[in-house]
Amino acid sequence: MSAGDVTGPAEQLDGAAALRQMLDDAHLLVTCGPGGVGKTTCAAALGLAAARSGRTVVVVTVDPARRLADALGIDASASEPSEVEGATDGADNSEGSLWALMLDAEATFDQLVRNEAPDAERAEAILRNPVYRTITGALAGAQEYMAIERLHQLHASGRFDLVIIDTPPSRHALDLLEAPQRLSGFLGHPVYRALTVPGRTFARVANAASSAFLWTVRKLAGPRIVEDTLEFFRSISSMEEGLRRRADEVSSLLRAERTRFVVVTSPRAEAISESSFLLDGLRDGSFPVGGVVVNMVHPRPETIEALTGDLDPEVLGPGPFSDQLAHHRDLTALADAERAELAPFMADAAPAAVNELPLLDEDVHDLDGLRLLADLLVGP
Amino acid sequence: MRSMQPSWVTDARVAVVAGKGGVGSTTVAAALALVAAQQGADVLFISIDGRTGVGPLLGGPPLTDETVVLNRVKGGGTVRGRTIPASGAFADYLELKKVPRLVRRAASAASLDVIAAATPGLEHLLVLGKIKELERTRAADLIVVDAPPAGHAAPFLRSPAALLEVVTDGAVREQAEEVSAMLGDAERCQAVLVTLAEETPVNEVIELAVDLQDELLMSLGPVVVNACWPDRPGMSVQPRTAAKNQGVKLPNAVAAALAGSVAFGRARLEQQREQIERVTSSVRAPLIELPRLTTTQLGPAELAILAERLRAAPV
Repeated sequence: MSAGDVTGPAEQLDGAAALRQMLDDAHLLVTCGPGGVGKTTCAAALGLAAARSGRTVVVVTVDPARRLADALGIDASASEPSEVEGATDGADNSEGSLWALMLDAEATFDQLVRNEAPDAERAEAILRNPVYRTITGALAGAQEYMAIERLHQLHASGRFDLVIIDTPPSRHALDLLEAPQRLSGFLGHPVYRALTVPGRTFARVANAASSAFLWTVRKLAGPRIVEDTLEFFRSISSMEEGLRRRADEVSSLLRAERTRFVVVTSPRAEAISESSFLLDGLRDGSFPVGGVVVNMVHPRPETIEALTGDLDPEVLGPGPFSDQLAHHRDLTALADAERAELAPFMADAAPAAVNELPLLDEDVHDLDGLRLLADLLVGP
Repeated sequence: MRSMQPSWVTDARVAVVAGKGGVGSTTVAAALALVAAQQGADVLFISIDGRTGVGPLLGGPPLTDETVVLNRVKGGGTVRGRTIPASGAFADYLELKKVPRLVRRAASAASLDVIAAATPGLEHLLVLGKIKELERTRAADLIVVDAPPAGHAAPFLRSPAALLEVVTDGAVREQAEEVSAMLGDAERCQAVLVTLAEETPVNEVIELAVDLQDELLMSLGPVVVNACWPDRPGMSVQPRTAAKNQGVKLPNAVAAALAGSVAFGRARLEQQREQIERVTSSVRAPLIELPRLTTTQLGPAELAILAERLRAAPV
């Protein structure tokens, strides 16, 4: 079944033209959406499409499926982007190139500390602190923040025309956008402030909230973790100004003129309601939405006119032909249900262009598959 | 409690249901709760990441942090449900540990996020600790826990073990030891993992299964493969051959329409079989297939279908 069965040509042209325009103009692209909708695959396909029209593109992904990572030549341990071989083979414009990088949240956080700490010695003190080591993995939104931080680094490097960042799947995808503010908020927290007051002993930390905090932590988790925590907060205070400034820069970068958000979703009711919520949040926060991709829409088979007795599996009884009719009936019902589910969402998404991608015969995990998706997204 | 049919569903007093985002693990958890209630058990459904919508799915109001009755199954048990928000678990815990009220208020209002950051996994541990208390006091015949999605399910379940490494003494260590003991006891707790028959979710479920069995020494219930296409044997032949087999002369238009949908269905079925085979060969646990429903909206009627399939699955 070809993809042409999925949407009418007029509708597809609109969405495709809008996406193509966006891929030509944007400097930064952020893909976001609920988990399990093929966000990484879509981010890679968008990157491939832009590279094939002549741009130098880097796609930063979080935890890609292994076969997709292999297809893109991503080495999980590499800290710098690597070029995707064969990405622009046979393209109209061969000046472009596609690069890929897997996000390592901890390494990015380490780099941030090295850049922002006043000297190497203090940077190392922070990096060695056991509380820091665990905080990078556990601080709410740390991974989301690092995705944005990496985007900033790559954008600032000037090496790429277009940076695409595939955000970590998040049920509360808006966490990502609040991450810079959350880091600032953390630094401005009364407990944090009190803890970083110069002083060596608990006794000198007079603030009620922080002594309650320390008292509680000590009672619950023992004295060692209290010492480590205090040490961590004191050492990180030296880089507070740098971190704050960085959070502000990232926050304005997310709203910059050539930044676009692409919401990727699927026709499941739950994914759609999460995406509606996300779209509202993007609009409320004045984040520019460049488009919506609905991935894995079941193809609707051609209608079988008039189910006569000859063509009714219930009448025919069990057999191969009944199996096929039943499958045809199920697939049609599911495809129709998805279109009904999507209709109000598409109206709601306007004026953002909505592109549908069909659930293909085979799941995409190589460059050929990505090329097919790229063509479906922006037209060949 | 009424007499119960022997079933894997109630093999342990706590069933933790987990899977990657988007595979339908919340739905499977709800179906599991329904099956147990149908078999006479009093069930407590606990949602960790605050998916309140599962309340209506089970026939009651949206979930809150207060326990409410969601469904009284005719001739069976009852399903009650609640959420356990981390902040509430923390306040409860401080109270349990007899932390003075003034300190408690300052601590929980001002610094939960800082404490959580300083003591990673503490929130998770406190939630698990609360579940352990409910289990220990026999608050229900079966507690069904809808765990956070897989990226977060492993850290969630690993939190006691991780904290035992960092925390050397104090109440947290005690709590972590008790929760670890519950997770590792097959009579008290089992994990039910959910996946789709697709590459990425299957990778994750295999990893999670190894983690839980080998590192956390947890007992695994069946792995549920959700949204499977019915494996119809007749899909492998050409539509004309199939029609002829059943004595139908196929009009050209119908043959053309079927050719597309059958080719698509056959390709998806092939991948489904391949992925199910990967689960079977890599995970030491029985496997249950649940059907792909032909609707996008899931209500009590659809849940009943899934529950029936869960119940009837040979394990």
